[in-house]
Amino acid sequence: MNGRDDSPAAPVTAALTPAALHPADGAATTAVVVGAGLAGLTAATGLAARGIEVTVLEARDRVGGRTHGLRVAPCSQVDAGAAYLGERHTELLSLLGELGLKTTPTTMLGASRFALGGEDATRDGRFPPLNAVALGDMFEQLDELTRAVRPEAPWLTPDAARLDTLTAAAWAEQRLTHPDALLFFPLFLGEMMAADPADVSVLHLAFYLRSGGGIRYLNAFEGGAQQDRIAGGAHQVCERLAQRLGARVRLGEPVLAVRQDADGVTVHSDLGEYRADVAVMALPPLLADAVEYRPGLPVRRASGRTARGCAVKATLVYPEPVWRDHGLSGWSVNAEGPLLSTVDDSPAEGGVGVLTGFVTGAEAHRFAALDPEHQRAAAVGQAARLFPMLPAPIGFHVTDWVNERYSRGCYAALFGPGDWLRHGPTLTTPHQRVHWAGTETSTEYFGLMEGAIRSGQRVVAEILART
Amino acid sequence: MSVDTPSAAATGRPGAGPASGAGAEVEGVVVIFRRVLEAADVAPDSDFFLLGGDSLIATRVLSAIARGYGVELSFEDFLLAPTPEGLAEKITAGR
Repeated sequence: MNGRDDSPAAPVTAALTPAALHPADGAATTAVVVGAGLAGLTAATGLAARGIEVTVLEARDRVGGRTHGLRVAPCSQVDAGAAYLGERHTELLSLLGELGLKTTPTTMLGASRFALGGEDATRDGRFPPLNAVALGDMFEQLDELTRAVRPEAPWLTPDAARLDTLTAAAWAEQRLTHPDALLFFPLFLGEMMAADPADVSVLHLAFYLRSGGGIRYLNAFEGGAQQDRIAGGAHQVCERLAQRLGARVRLGEPVLAVRQDADGVTVHSDLGEYRADVAVMALPPLLADAVEYRPGLPVRRASGRTARGCAVKATLVYPEPVWRDHGLSGWSVNAEGPLLSTVDDSPAEGGVGVLTGFVTGAEAHRFAALDPEHQRAAAVGQAARLFPMLPAPIGFHVTDWVNERYSRGCYAALFGPGDWLRHGPTLTTPHQRVHWAGTETSTEYFGLMEGAIRSGQRVVAEILART
Repeated sequence: MSVDTPSAAATGRPGAGPASGAGAEVEGVVVIFRRVLEAADVAPDSDFFLLGGDSLIATRVLSAIARGYGVELSFEDFLLAPTPEGLAEKITAGR
């Protein structure tokens, strides 16, 4: 389905075959795509390339969804949202190539800093100064869970009913005994999937790790899912796709309702009504679920247990990446917030030094509730304790994805107890003329940019196959 | 099988008993390396990191060694001797 050779997401500029321009009777000739993130714009681009008349409705005044550029110097932007990719993210890499965008490696030279209780420590590499056997026991158990999952259909995993009911927090309480494992588990979940262990089922945890390529791939920078960034920022992918789609993309039009009848579908936005043969809902599940559907959905898109991905990014800008002069990589892992980890996000072209602080899990909610002055004091103060050589920052920015009205969480929605068994089987099943996209509908690379693109491609194939 | 119960496969318990000298430990660690690295081509002197290992899965090796041999090695031990031979020596010394 996602093979490059028969990939439906050909560029808009690709030569159109006569067959594509004259679809069979009954096939869709018009489509409304709701959401101008990676999934929606991939779908819109693929449909337009097949001669389908597309309109994209985006609630925000910008495209990009959970990718967003933040200007840190006159000519430099860093990622306030999704940022990383690896070699296995083949659809994203192919799209980057098509759009003329380059990647830049996430350099990790130098020692790490750790504040995990007791003395703050500086260590080579990324391994925390915790009991290695205890962490190994935890990773062995997580690896076994991850292997047992059926990634294409998590609800069919052996023992799925029990694993779907159990939260990751309850699992940890049962399975982890060493205090170092109990300390590290929530930090690991925060880093991997922006989850508070109480929010996700253990089935979702295992699925997420498997979907992303396994614990090791998902955790690794070099040779893993964080190997590279997109030079100049990930937001450029959507910007360039939107540029090609031109006037088909309409900003500032939040969608309120989707109504279907025998002849078509009408999408109602704040500003108007759009009639088409099919609609694509390329939204995170909590937002897709908030739209009114007529006829109603047989199965909702989210439940009361579906949680927002808990990620807040704090961007600290310094005149230079001075930590490098002291043999430090900028990487840190911390038991106390707000910054549970930091990473050197300095632009490749130089000019400024950027530390990105990840505030994840339960800490994200606490931090998001602070007023801007206290957020700044807490984040800047913690960075200065971790990296005493830091001067005062020349810039500071908080990107609160948890409370972002048109994302409701980041990296991705967190499937809570019951969610996979309830929603999994119909995750991608069209509701008559309504198709579902978004990274949360991709069982491959769920929650990542790669998953968003693959979901958009899947929807194009579904729509082309309609008769 | 309950999926969150460590199975025989996950314990990495070597087939050879731990009492038959360093050769058995070497072979046992080779088996552990193969499992966590998902690589068939592991020799007694293979360097874990050159085989694509990283710190996260190194901890899984240490956990399997602790379960199989009752010896708790540290992460520093691992960095100093990241081969089956080197780790077998540490296991023998740690008894």
